Order: sequence, then structure tokens, then C-alpha cells
Amino acid sequence: MTAEKLARTATLGAALPALLLALWWVATADSTDPYVPPLSLIFSTFPETWTAERLQHDVIPSLARLLSGFVLAVVIGVAAGVAVGSFHGLRHTLEPVLEFLRAIPSPVLIPVVILFAGIDDTMKILVIVYGCVWPVLLNTVEGVRAIDSVLTDTSRCYGINRSARLRHLILPGASPHIFAGMRQALSLSIILMVIGEMFAASNGLGFSIVQFQRSFAIPEMWTGIIVLGLVGIALSLLLGLIERRALAWYFGLRRSQRRE
Amino acid sequence: MRNTFVLRWGQGLIGLAALIAVLELLPRTSLVSARYLPPFSTMMTALRRQLGEASFWSALLNTAQAWAIGLTIAMILGIVLGLVIGSFPLLRELTFSTIEFLRPIPSVALIPLVVLMFGTRMQGTLVLVVYASLWQVLIQVLYGVQDVDPVVRETARSYRFGRMAQVRHVVWPTALPFVMTGFRLAATVALVLTITAELVIGSPGIGKQIAVAQSSGAVATMYSLVIVTGALGVLVNLLARALERRVLAWHPSHRSEVIA
Amino acid sequence: MRRLTKSVLGAATTLVLLAAAGCGSDSSGDGSTADGTDGLRKVSVGIIPVVDVAPLYLGVEKGFFAERNIELSLEAGQGGAAIIPGVVSGQFQFGSSNVTSLMLARHEGLPVKIVVSGNASTGQDPDISAVVVKGDSDIKSAKDLEGKTVAVNTLNNLGDTTVRQSIRKDGGDPDEVEFVELGFPDMPAAVANGQIDAAWVVEPFVAISKSQGDRVVAWNLVDTAPDLMLSGYFTSEKLLQEDPELVEDFVAAVTESQEYAMEHPEEARAIVKTYTEIADDVLAALTLPVWTPAVNRESTQTLADLAMQDGLVDQPVDVAALLH
Repeated sequence: MTAEKLARTATLGAALPALLLALWWVATADSTDPYVPPLSLIFSTFPETWTAERLQHDVIPSLARLLSGFVLAVVIGVAAGVAVGSFHGLRHTLEPVLEFLRAIPSPVLIPVVILFAGIDDTMKILVIVYGCVWPVLLNTVEGVRAIDSVLTDTSRCYGINRSARLRHLILPGASPHIFAGMRQALSLSIILMVIGEMFAASNGLGFSIVQFQRSFAIPEMWTGIIVLGLVGIALSLLLGLIERRALAWYFGLRRSQRRE
Repeated sequence: MRNTFVLRWGQGLIGLAALIAVLELLPRTSLVSARYLPPFSTMMTALRRQLGEASFWSALLNTAQAWAIGLTIAMILGIVLGLVIGSFPLLRELTFSTIEFLRPIPSVALIPLVVLMFGTRMQGTLVLVVYASLWQVLIQVLYGVQDVDPVVRETARSYRFGRMAQVRHVVWPTALPFVMTGFRLAATVALVLTITAELVIGSPGIGKQIAVAQSSGAVATMYSLVIVTGALGVLVNLLARALERRVLAWHPSHRSEVIA
Repeated sequence: MRRLTKSVLGAATTLVLLAAAGCGSDSSGDGSTADGTDGLRKVSVGIIPVVDVAPLYLGVEKGFFAERNIELSLEAGQGGAAIIPGVVSGQFQFGSSNVTSLMLARHEGLPVKIVVSGNASTGQDPDISAVVVKGDSDIKSAKDLEGKTVAVNTLNNLGDTTVRQSIRKDGGDPDEVEFVELGFPDMPAAVANGQIDAAWVVEPFVAISKSQGDRVVAWNLVDTAPDLMLSGYFTSEKLLQEDPELVEDFVAAVTESQEYAMEHPEEARAIVKTYTEIADDVLAALTLPVWTPAVNRESTQTLADLAMQDGLVDQPVDVAALLH
């Protein structure tokens, strides 16, 4: 990406948020509602709330849980998705079970997880994995199924073995879907991190927000929500970078087709 | 055709039977005490008692309503926004940062605001449901629009298709598989959020019944309601699948099965 | 393509119709206030459906509210985080919440006032709140909690401040205790599995915990203040100003209900069955709270002092401003 293009993206990316913030500022400027404090108050609360100490004590542990959960979920989701997508029998056997488990809200599931995994970080990571696996898995299944059957048959005819087929045909073919799933999973993982930290926690970003909410420190609570959003953007940009690398061929293909 | 249908159902039932067996046997091992995770049969006894109570059925109806209304709103909003934003690269760049900012903000963190505006009425649940499931649809639609083959798009353009016609004949068919995946994800997310909101806010529905059972220490009743939640999830998925099969019968991801 | 659009449209229409068909039945969920033309006042109260609020259900059944022209609807919310905003915004006219949460709300400038007591400690063994450990634990008294993990349902609230007080009274150092957050329903299992060393539980979980062989090491409310007032019914300053008569009638009805409940504990126990799922044996075994309508100023002041001492607030709470 050239510097000029980067600047353009940055400007465009900042335009709408700036507009929305301006609207928010004006709309709440003389708000007396304790639950909707003026934006200026939220901003002035921000630096005193999110000190270096709090970042270290609350944000870093949260991010560590989040990333371990997310990575585990992607690995499990892709592996299971390829298996389920490749074998119709397996898919039909597992689908009702997966759907059953998927519909159980994590706040209900956490007590069950606690029974087996205790109340430590393992529990919080498991909760993230549990929630994030589904979008990756479902998208992988779709991706594997959507691969042109002519290609699969051709590669089989040429005697290309299973692992090579997986590496060179199935995974790359399904990767646009997989990344779509990862994107869904990423924001889910942040949500689940918060939910996990609402139970049996004594530190973390989610814990802080709930704590602010319960002690009616409303401006602080708003700053916490803003931090969550910022974490979301940062992680999403990171995933975007990885995606652009991994899917370079895909975007390249689209671009070259466009040029012709 | 008929045989594969029977086979598929059979396989699904085998999967569910295995899950039930695990639930029945697990509490009889030393891994976990039946006091905290009762065997499946005990949960079923509690469920039978629930089925005889009018309050259970009205809670089920409340949950179904909130789910259906919330999902419908999210689908319509998501598809319209997705098609509009996805069709214009400029809009896409403008909205990217805002979407990534809003998406990971947990609905749970919005609860105090929602309660403030709606109390424990169903509207509060609806806001949370729409907020959470909108992103599932929107992101899938955006990916789907991006997936449109540029050659096809150029062809359509050179045949002087109008913008609406392009959307109808080129963009929509390509995006449809992504939309359907989004629908399936959103349908479950909406269900999970409906239950979660009822659980946390206390608006009427299955989630509230779960909260009451929890705070009463009625473990078997609590799990019997969790099973109901899971069963709703399976049902929702069956409906979504049926819809998907009808809508996508022409697509490679489904073609092979139709022939088989 | 046309067929496709049609089936998608069809599905969407079905969903909308389904939703709309369901809508019709939901007319009772509206908790808004209105002075009825016939003098009947609709009042909704945000509560957590636990044993504490039994007198309200009993009072509705006995007509104590109706005879004061109050049509009471009890709206179950989950915890102060949902109920206090509801009262401040006027969705509920009254709410029930624990005293420490209300202090924190008041401290942050939310205009809430306690108008009548909710429930209080029995002041003796057995109480409605206890610190429990596993039957074979080597923790014998509150002092032994030093260096251990103790679960409370909410950190920096009534639970940990009163448990700290038990430890202080027993000659221990509360700073040596690690408090973690866990829902009451999950505590008995966590104690049994050894994931936590002790738990602060309230009824019905005191009874459930005892039934699985756990041992009480401290009655934390008894250690904190005589007849400690645990929760109160509160309203917003706005309603107090606009309709003091309604508040007065509500307080009178609650008072009558609580007195009736104290005189008829078996009826109070029986009505709990109608709005919770508490099992019969647990219900028979659990300790009922004391329902005295008079607001306990002394115990509230004690809780305020503890809140200051334990750093829940950074300046003293004005207890007089919280109590009506």
C-alpha cells in the first residue's frame, strides 16, 4: 500500500467517526441524565481511568485470554470444519448436536464449565473458544462445500493425495470463507471475554466495566465501552493485515480479472 | 432421494443419542456430582413437570416472539445496509472503522442503557437481539458483495444493466450463499441473545425462568430449561437449513447433494 | 431468479406474521405508571424474585395494596444493575435493592431514597446469610480465612465488607483474604469441588450448602451490626416530590404486608413456592429473614462506615440523604 493510499484510507476511516463524535458531543453537551453524561465528561474521565497501572492489571490479562481463546477457536474450527465439510456422513451426525450446543447461551453454560474447569483463566478461555468456534466452523464447512466439485474430481483423477489436496486445494479454496468466519469470531471473542470476566473474575477489562456499572460510575463505564471498541478496531486491523497477506492471491485474482 | 433423506435424519438422531448418553452417564462417574449436574433422566423428569405449567408455555411464546421479531429486523437492516455499503467502495471505506468499533461492544454492556429506556419490557430484549445479530448479517453480506466475479459484473455493465438490475441479477445471487450463512448465524445469535437478555434483564421468557430456577437452587429444573434452549436451537437450525436448501438449490455447495 | 426472490420474500413474510401474531398476546408487560381514572393506581416494583420479597406477594394476595387503591405489579429484574436505573428513569415506581448498592448509587449522585425496610438479619444463629466452608475444611473460624479464597456474589459490595468485618472481629487481617466473584447458585458446587475455600451465601443457598454437609464459620451480618438491614424498598426523589401520597400508601401497604408475614411465617413460606422453584425440603429448612418495616439507621451507618473503610467510596456516604 502506498503512503498516499494509506492516508486516504485513514482520512476516510476517520471521517464518519469524527462526524458521529461531533453529533454525540452536541447532543449530550448539557445532559443532566446521570446515565448519559456529556461526552466532554467522558473524555476528561478517560485518562484518569485508564492509567498505565490499569492497562497492565486489567487490559493485558484480558487480551491474553482473548487471543488464546481466539487462536484455539480458529484451529479447532478449521480442523473440524474441514472434516465435517469433507464427509457428508459426519456432518449429518454432528449437526444437530452442534446446533444444540451452539444455542445454549454462554452465561448459562459458564456454571457447567466451572464444574469441570474451575474458576481460573482456563474457564474464561474455554468460554471464548466455545462461542467463537461456531462461525469459523460453519464458514469453513461452507467454504469446503463450495469448492468446485470439478476441481476436486480433477485433482483426485490426477492421483493427488489427501494431504496435498488439503494444502493446495481445500484450505486455499475455503480461505475466503474461513476469514469471513474469523472476522465474526473476532468480535464474538471480545464479547465473550467480557461475559467470561463477569463470572468468577477479579481483574480484566470486562470485570472493570461491570464493576463501574455496579458502582454507578457511569462516565467510567462509558470509557470502558470505548476501550472495548478501540480494542475491537485494533484487532480487526491486525486481522485485516493477516488476511491481505494470506488472501493475496484471491484479491490479486479479483483485481486482475477486473483489469482485463 | 428418499433414502438419503431418511439416512440423514437417522445420522442426526444418532448424534443426539450419543449426546444424551454422555449427559446420562457423566454424573454417574466421579468426574462430577449428580447434585450439580443431574443425569439426563432427572432433567427430563423436571422438564415434564415444566411442560404441565402454563407459565412455561407463555415464557416459551415470549421467547419465540422476541426472537422472531428481533431476527426479522436484523435481517432486513443487515441486507439493506450491506448491499448499499458493499456496492460503493467509498461508503465501505467511510463506514469500516465505525462498524469495527461498534461490533465488538457487547450487548451485555448496553444493558443498563436498555433498562433505562425500556425497563424490563420486551423492547429491551429486542434492542439487544437486533444489535447483536445485525453484525452477523451485515458482515456476511459485505463479504458476499465483495465476492462478485468482476468479469460477470463487467459483462452485466456492458450489457447496460441498470444499478438495480445489477444488484438483482449479479450481486444478489453471488451474495446469497453468504447471506444464508449470515442468516443461520444470526438466527442462533438472536436466540442466544434473547435468552441472555431475559436472563440478565429479567424480561419475560425462558431466560427469566432459568434465572428463577438458578436463584432457587433448583438445579434439575434449570438444566431442563437449558435443554429446551438447546432444542430451540436445533429447531431454528432445521428451519434455516430448509430455507437455505430451497433458496440455494442451484448453487455448487448444494448441487452435489441434490444429485446424490 | 424470480422464484428465488419469491421464496425469500415468503420466508420473511412468514417470520413477520409469526412475530405479529405473537404480539397480540403481550399486553400485560407494560409497567408504565398512570393515575387511573377510577382512582386505582398502577404501581410497578422492580424486585429480584427471592425469599426477601415474599411479603409483597403475600400483600397482593391479601389485598393490602388493593385496599389502598394500588394495583401492584412485581417485575422481576436481575440485580441492582437493572433495577436502580429502572427506578431512576421512572419505569418502576419502586424497587428493592441491597443497602450498599443504594449507597453507591447515592454516592454517584443518583436520586434514590429508601422509604421502607426490605429485609433484615435475624441477628442470631441461624441467620439468612453465612460464610460456609466444606465440612472437613481446617477453617474453624473467620480468622482462619486469612490466606484463603472466599467467593462473594459481587466484589466491593455488601458481601465482602461484612465478611471482612467478621474476620476483623475474630482478630484476623481481612487484607490477607482473596475475594473472588461467583454467582450464589454456583457456590455450593465450587465449595464441594475445592475451587474456593469458603463462600458467602444467602438463603436458600445457606440451607442448600448445609444440606450437602458444609459448615458455617461466620454469621457475617450478625458480626457487623445488630439486626442489620440488608435491603430496602426505594424510590426516586422525583416521585417523592410529585406524589408523596402514593409513597405513603405504598409504605403503609408494605408495612402491613411485612407485619402479616411475620405473624404468619408458614403463609410466607408457602407463597415463596408460587414465584420461585425452591424445592420443598430446602424451603422447609431455610431461615426466613426478619421483616421489620422500620428503617435501621444504625446498621445503615455501620455499612456506610465500612464502605468508606474498605474503599468502596472515596468520601463518606451521607446516610441521612439516602433515607427518607
